[in-house]
Amino acid sequence: MNSINQYSSDFMPHIWPIGGGKGGTGKSFLTSNIGILLARQGFKTLLIDADLGTPNLHTIIGLPNPEISLSDFLNRKVATLEETVLEMPIPNLFLISGARNKLDISNLAHEQKMKMLRAISRLDYDYILLDLGAGTSFNTIDFFTLSDSGIFVCIPEPTSIENIYRLIRSVYVRKIRQVLRIDRFRSLTEKAEAQNQDAITHHPEYLLDMLKNIDPEQGSKIERILKAFQFKLVLNQVRRQDNPKVGALICKIVEKHLGMKIQFIGNVSFDERVHEAVCRKESFVEKYSYSQSTLDLKLVIKGITGMTEEQAVAL
Amino acid sequence: MKRLEDLSFYELLEVECDASPFEVHQAYKEMHQLYHDDSLASYSFFSREEREEILAKLDEAYSTLMDERNRSRYDQLLIERGILEKGMQYQRDRKKLSLMSDAKHPGTNTALRIRDRLKPIVSSNPVIQEILTQDVLSGEDLKKIRDELGISLEEIAEIVKVRMVYLHAIEDDQFEKTPSRIFLKGFLRAYAQCIGLDADIVANRYLKRIHD
Repeated sequence: MNSINQYSSDFMPHIWPIGGGKGGTGKSFLTSNIGILLARQGFKTLLIDADLGTPNLHTIIGLPNPEISLSDFLNRKVATLEETVLEMPIPNLFLISGARNKLDISNLAHEQKMKMLRAISRLDYDYILLDLGAGTSFNTIDFFTLSDSGIFVCIPEPTSIENIYRLIRSVYVRKIRQVLRIDRFRSLTEKAEAQNQDAITHHPEYLLDMLKNIDPEQGSKIERILKAFQFKLVLNQVRRQDNPKVGALICKIVEKHLGMKIQFIGNVSFDERVHEAVCRKESFVEKYSYSQSTLDLKLVIKGITGMTEEQAVAL
Repeated sequence: MKRLEDLSFYELLEVECDASPFEVHQAYKEMHQLYHDDSLASYSFFSREEREEILAKLDEAYSTLMDERNRSRYDQLLIERGILEKGMQYQRDRKKLSLMSDAKHPGTNTALRIRDRLKPIVSSNPVIQEILTQDVLSGEDLKKIRDELGISLEEIAEIVKVRMVYLHAIEDDQFEKTPSRIFLKGFLRAYAQCIGLDADIVANRYLKRIHD
């Protein structure tokens, strides 16, 4: 299967997995609020709670007891993914909830995952935002690699940054794994690890270098794929005392040392009222429409949609 | 993607081969910020040994490029290896910070782009920052700032579309050569913006002397 974004009508992908290595970085907050802003602007927007094991996007969006879930499609209770779509009170906003997923769903079989991704790629929405789970499970990584696009979310703390690097490296290795046959991949990793024991965990670029030596055509192909990824980075919960350049510097490091291009699309300021909005199950961007964080989120949308700054700020 | 060991000092510091010492210094500071031990942005990305290796190479690049003789020898080596084209290396007297490249892109706001490009240079230059602490600014002060940035008056005239005679009048404190106080304020604002300064601050501090 190629990218699920391959049928996008224009240059910008319309399916955006949103993930981060660590829990608590605000993935669901960003997904729901970006979705609301897009919907308010007239874009038909679907939010999918792809945090299969611990879903809670429905709660953040103010829908405590959804009657149908993603698992109803995966378990064939309903025939099509469209049937799991819930209409939200906000015009143009739709949700596929994960609230009623079975507890063991986080270990989704490969076939089910592919079925879900294929079904998502056929949905007719202007934007589809997938709220992914924390960590570097295959579920999370595959959503990134099969979309060829994605938004990484992290906060300016060492733990979060450490995990985001781990996630990015995992995506890198997984993409090589997806392109190569399993036996070739195994033999490649064995050779790379013989030269550098950290090749898989810390230096996946060694794998590519080695592959380029052994099979230049295949190596260049993977290099092109990695360069074509449309990955973005958002730094969330940025406080006044934080260095505002950290996000851009992370992208620089990844491009310079892994050869993967990630575009930094903005800092979202820390706002204590986010906690209050989540507790009250209210939409932050609607309640605090003139806050700095809301303005920051609008500028993040600029990076996702390719809008001009004027258009984004007017959302 | 080139490995660290294959990068030239210019590539490592991400500067052009004809970068001025000031630009090399700025780039070194930025890179050091990226790779030093307590850098949040690169936290966990490198092992201690890798970090030490990068920092050592950065130091070597900096000390080579900041020393005129060493840099010349290094450039010669790059020329011999076919990495650098002869004539493209830094020459001390050559005008460095051309604004015209920014003016060549149609359809975008040239003044804003130039301001954004110059702002970090202005804020990190100690000479400029010292001048900007003054309550009152003279034409000579503005000229000093412009010289620090290596921008010619002709470039400013071309971009802000103000005649050279008025720009000279500003720098020579010959207020009587400008059409009126309103025009002078407008010229000052355009001049200031063009060299990355705050237009209101510069205009107000410069015009203070005319009040007096």
